[in-house]
Amino acid sequence: MSLRTAARAFPTLVRIGFSEALAYRAELLIWVLSTTMPFIMMALWTAVARDAPVGRYGQEGFVGYFLATFVVRQLTGAWAAWQINFEVRQGTLAMRLLRPISPIWSYAAENLGAVPMRFLVGVPVAIISVLVVGPDAVPRQWWGWPLLALALLGGWLITFLANVAIGTMALYMESSQKLMDVWLVLFFVFSGYMYPVELLPPVMRSLVDWLPFRYQIGLGAEVMTNAHSLPTALKLLAGQWLWVLGMGALAVGLWRRGLRRFAAYGG
Amino acid sequence: MLRRYLRLFGVQLRSSSLLAMQYRGDFLLEGLISIFWTFTALAPLFVVYQGRKAIAGWSFEEALLVVGWFTLLQGVLEGAITPSLNGVVDHIRKGTLDFVLLKPADAQFLVSTTRFLPWRATNILTGMVIFIYAFHQMGRGPSLPGLLAALVLLGTSTLLLYSMWILTVSAAFFVVRVDNLTYFFQSIFDAARWPSSVFKGALSVVFTFIIPLALMTTFPAQAMLGRLPLQALVAAVAGAIAFAFLSRKVWLRSIGHYTSASS
Amino acid sequence: MISVRGLRKHYKVHKRPPGLKAAFRSLFHRDYTTVKAVDGISFEIHPGERVGFLGPNGAGKTTTLKVLSGLLHPSEGEVTVDGHVPRHREAAFLKKIMLVMGQKQQLLWDLPPAETFELNRAIYDVPPEQYKQTLDELVTLLELEELIQKPTRQLSLGERMKCELAAALIHRPKVLFLDEPTIGLDVSMQATMRTFIKSYNERHGATLILTSHYMDDVAALCPRVIVIDKGLLSYDGGLEALVQRVRPEKRVVFRLDQPVEAERLTPLGRVVSHEPTTAVLQVPPEAVSATISRALANLPVTDLTVENAPLEEVMSELFSENKARRAAAAEVGA
Repeated sequence: MSLRTAARAFPTLVRIGFSEALAYRAELLIWVLSTTMPFIMMALWTAVARDAPVGRYGQEGFVGYFLATFVVRQLTGAWAAWQINFEVRQGTLAMRLLRPISPIWSYAAENLGAVPMRFLVGVPVAIISVLVVGPDAVPRQWWGWPLLALALLGGWLITFLANVAIGTMALYMESSQKLMDVWLVLFFVFSGYMYPVELLPPVMRSLVDWLPFRYQIGLGAEVMTNAHSLPTALKLLAGQWLWVLGMGALAVGLWRRGLRRFAAYGG
Repeated sequence: MLRRYLRLFGVQLRSSSLLAMQYRGDFLLEGLISIFWTFTALAPLFVVYQGRKAIAGWSFEEALLVVGWFTLLQGVLEGAITPSLNGVVDHIRKGTLDFVLLKPADAQFLVSTTRFLPWRATNILTGMVIFIYAFHQMGRGPSLPGLLAALVLLGTSTLLLYSMWILTVSAAFFVVRVDNLTYFFQSIFDAARWPSSVFKGALSVVFTFIIPLALMTTFPAQAMLGRLPLQALVAAVAGAIAFAFLSRKVWLRSIGHYTSASS
Repeated sequence: MISVRGLRKHYKVHKRPPGLKAAFRSLFHRDYTTVKAVDGISFEIHPGERVGFLGPNGAGKTTTLKVLSGLLHPSEGEVTVDGHVPRHREAAFLKKIMLVMGQKQQLLWDLPPAETFELNRAIYDVPPEQYKQTLDELVTLLELEELIQKPTRQLSLGERMKCELAAALIHRPKVLFLDEPTIGLDVSMQATMRTFIKSYNERHGATLILTSHYMDDVAALCPRVIVIDKGLLSYDGGLEALVQRVRPEKRVVFRLDQPVEAERLTPLGRVVSHEPTTAVLQVPPEAVSATISRALANLPVTDLTVENAPLEEVMSELFSENKARRAAAAEVGA
């Protein structure tokens, strides 16, 4: 299909994705409520920092950081892997394939449709964070804001594309759910979701820069809480967008090959 | 009566094992995931205890015991409790719970035993390894009464987990489409990875009385260390029984409220 | 319009043996068997034709439809639909066709059907004028006014299927594949669907292929049928001619003034059913008039009709005939 058709149809797709998100608001709320990890981690780390700060992070620092991870997690969420896995198993992927637009676009639109609702949750938390922690809870410099937006977009793209790549594996194996679980485990360890990545032991810290996970959550939260100078932030953003490209190539490649398999074996 | 239910239980367990064997890829990955999960449980622990002797009164090795209990209970939860009760949510959505209710056996029993994931037993092994390592590091063993108390607490913890799940699932009778209740439940259970004294204020009240996570992992770890007062043990047993009783009542009431989804 | 030559579709499937031990063994070693879903069929369909695919379950009807709509790649053979090769899945091709599956839906479950229509408008890039016109037409013909603003989940199965069909026609496909479109619907809803599908075909000259378990659907819609059995094409032609070939005998239904004994019926022909005041006899076509005159002379007949055997019966006879022939062939082969 032509990219132009896809681009023209995309706004409508997103709008309908948003209507769907509205219809599922109760579930979205449950999803939001199940994002308890940052709060538990906040309790834990403030307990750790009770007597003396850990690295640069005092109790307030941790509160700011974990509220930021909550906001970033809300805004960069995607669940396409579950969708694709489910639709491959149910055979309803066929309905999407009949349409003259790549299903990846429709998955992207449906996932993006939920962003406004998630924004409604994220913004108050960010405001609370400013009230509790002070101005360090959000970017201080003007350049922090565009960089934050870029980091969030990049984070969402990595998450979404990884979801597509993993979901697509359902076309190769019976269920890609388990693969997603493995991904999630690595995500928890390396993304900065459970602790700021700079607190990791030195060996792991250098490893983390090469993995995609910290660019999903950690980078956004760090930019939001002013952890980096402009040059460092730019360097990390470059790394993030390299991962966006890499993950995009991987996802599209797996998808194309998977579809050929799907067509050979049937749904 | 009891024999009939035991036989039913056996049949359901067998069919779950059959199902488990069907997915080759899953089978291999499953083992890896178990180990990985334990690793996640440990990673933040290592990070937290970098350069810290004790946190909220717990040394690294002692906190390791809590993680061990968490791993063990996670195995119980994900291997024996969650799979079946996820099925209930499906039944409710599709309106097929009627078929279950028509069968001449207790509905709660039937829905609670439909599916098991046998390979989750690996978690129990991993938990054991953690216990042994932790005690080895401490240079001592658990006291015998402590061990007995811990075993009693394993029973109460399982009962508590199960009751909490029944309560969660009961909510599915009142709200439409709650597939993600599982995630909600698991994300809360995740807090049980840490000694309960980490949590202060409101969270500590919530995790002791409303969602008794403290009873599930911190109490047994304390018992193993011989630090659990007898009153606490008694309270845990009484609390678990009360919780189970409450959840049964709520379940019966929810079934009464249930009206089959029209299609 | 549609041309299929030597189409074959073979799958390799993993055999899953029953039993715990066997299941465990299959973890390490798997047996595969080749399933010949479609094993060499050819046909041509002209623009505007309405063709019914008939065949027992697992005959390869759905597989053929999926190949025609580009969802499955053929293992062998050539397929073109309106000059396109389906498996290339070009946008131009996808915009011309639609596959409606009675058991799978494209409507968004928790949103009103109107939203799915709008979604399809965007996806198929339908010009606003045409969209409005098509939608008005569909809403009027299918009586959807009340339905399209209600969430899909609140609609009954029949209402949902009507909306499903409407959603499939938003882009006015030139080729329409219908896979069991009336499954589970009540008789009057089936009739509504049939009338609508026929009128769509007549108004827009769309080509139509239908599979259905309900012979009434096929009889009402399809002048031509293609019978597929075990992946092979066993008949292609008019429905009427098929019935003549498989079951040339006619059925004569007599309504009687008063009950008669069975012995008085048997000399006339094979008795299909005999209730106190109705009797159904099966007779060879050349003997119909003789039978009727004899019956009129001997029995208290008040009314009579001559019919073909019910289509369902014809079909099941055809399939069991094929099966017997295959069994015989297999024996000869061995």
